[in-house]
Amino acid sequence: MFTRGTLIYIAQRIVLIGFTVLVVSSVVFLGIHRLPGDALFNEKVRGAAYIALLHQYGLDKPLYVQYWNFLVGVVTRGDLGESLVNRGLKITPLVVRELGVSAEVGGMALVFTIGLGLLLGVFAAVRQNTWLDYALTTTSVIGYSMPNFVIAAFLILLFGVWLNNVTGGTFYYQLGAWHGDLGQLWLPAFALGFPYASIVARLTRASMLEVIRQDYIRTARAKGLRESVILVRHALRNALIPVITILAPLIIGIITGSVVIENFFGIPGLGKEFAQSILNRDYAIVIGVFTMYAAMVGAANLLVDLAYVVIDPRIRY
Amino acid sequence: MAVASAARAVEFELPPQQSLWSDAWRRLRRNRFALIATVYLVFLVAVALVSTVWTPYRMSAIGVAETYSPPSAAHLLGADPLGRDLLSRLMVGSQVSLIVGVGTQVLVLLVGVPIGLLAGYYRGWLDNVVTFIINVFYGIPDVLVAMIMVFLLGPSLTNIIIAIVATRWMDMARLVRGQALSLREREFVEAGRAAGAKPFKMLFGHIMPNAMGPIIVQATLGIPAAILFEAFLSFLGVGVQPPTPSWGSMANEGVQAIQYAPHIVIAPSIALSLTLMAFNFLGDGLRDALDPRSRR
Repeated sequence: MFTRGTLIYIAQRIVLIGFTVLVVSSVVFLGIHRLPGDALFNEKVRGAAYIALLHQYGLDKPLYVQYWNFLVGVVTRGDLGESLVNRGLKITPLVVRELGVSAEVGGMALVFTIGLGLLLGVFAAVRQNTWLDYALTTTSVIGYSMPNFVIAAFLILLFGVWLNNVTGGTFYYQLGAWHGDLGQLWLPAFALGFPYASIVARLTRASMLEVIRQDYIRTARAKGLRESVILVRHALRNALIPVITILAPLIIGIITGSVVIENFFGIPGLGKEFAQSILNRDYAIVIGVFTMYAAMVGAANLLVDLAYVVIDPRIRY
Repeated sequence: MAVASAARAVEFELPPQQSLWSDAWRRLRRNRFALIATVYLVFLVAVALVSTVWTPYRMSAIGVAETYSPPSAAHLLGADPLGRDLLSRLMVGSQVSLIVGVGTQVLVLLVGVPIGLLAGYYRGWLDNVVTFIINVFYGIPDVLVAMIMVFLLGPSLTNIIIAIVATRWMDMARLVRGQALSLREREFVEAGRAAGAKPFKMLFGHIMPNAMGPIIVQATLGIPAAILFEAFLSFLGVGVQPPTPSWGSMANEGVQAIQYAPHIVIAPSIALSLTLMAFNFLGDGLRDALDPRSRR
């Protein structure tokens, strides 16, 4: 499956990802340090104490020295520095912990997206031009026209306020536990995944319609196979290939969507940290989280490209 | 003899030749969803225009109603946490959404179309450079880039539009590049070149008009994406700054009070969803109307 060429390709891509991450974090670093004022601007410390603080964080050095120290820290120790607002908070462990939380919510959203999208898409294709098909196609336009926070708001209203809670009314995500409470997790995951499920459904429907008209499906029918076997084993497998092409933008969409959803539900993940650090003007964390995001997106793109090789043996790198 | 005259009769019944645009317009009118969407959008533009000169209450006037009060005869949509009239704010919010949606796409057209035309028509190193830049931009999550840009530039309507354009121009450039790549091989381009048309005339007089259909569809579908973007940014508090209302920031205010005053979050949410839906239906309708081959 993975030939030598593929391995070389993977290596190249990893180098490229590293390069992109470096460029992105540099741009953010330099852009942020161009802003007027400094991180201690609001702290009402003046005189010697102020200079001592600046020195402690290395902010009194020239910009290129700061940048060099930042780079050396990132490359050699994976150290993204310290928070400037919450004194003494190391950013790397923080970001790694939050990444775990985000991955859990995002992973579940992805399961929703793909599961629901495939199911609806196949149903719409099989019952083409019936009321079910029209209902599903119209719903999918509505689905991707609703911002995820609107879906989240209506879900909370429906379950939290009107039906008076499945989740105990709270969306507090337990810290320390290695995974969240599933009962709390499915609402945010659904709100995050639903808009993309509509897109997957549309695409699955279109490509299923194309595939089920082909001769090999007629042959399978003629052999007397059960309809469910034909649909899943013969048709869906080939209908999946165009669906995989949107998997990469889908994952990126879920990552960015999580910024909104995590803030909405108060989930202590990477997305919440990103928005909060921007609002708090905590430059060090902004740079750290953004670097993390760039790496994640690069990795997601690479994984999707490798998924092609697994599913379609004709594709080689 | 009879056969020949019958054949001629059939020939005479052929409809008169129609241009692409009148043909498309006829198909669009038959699409019920697209038509309803158009009516809604005309209504929305009217609301936005009216709200520049008149709203039931001043949108920033605090305490014209009891805070958090539900819909009533005096305040049709109720009041927000500061006692401001929700309907007035919703009306003014439509301005922000429309300006961001349309303004972004105008800029995207101005940036994306020339770049795409140049890259697709001249190919070579120019194309390689453009494609590389497009791929780099695609590799970075757009909302995050926009947040960083607004953060660096400062939150204002203009900066939000710039930030959205910076993350959206690639869609248009890529589309136009693809169109130009295929159109440049056609005979009419060769004829134009043989007749001595200047490069500018070639790009904007011959190639661009022939790619107009997909460009219009892409621009229409880009509008809801931009509106959604602005709503995201405002929802997170890095978008349009108070007291200017944006549907995104209004929804954010409503979320805090969702338990006892759900109308505050419901009103902007519905306005936002309807608007996005209308643009999406219109874009889909235009796609079907302008490209008869892609009939669903």
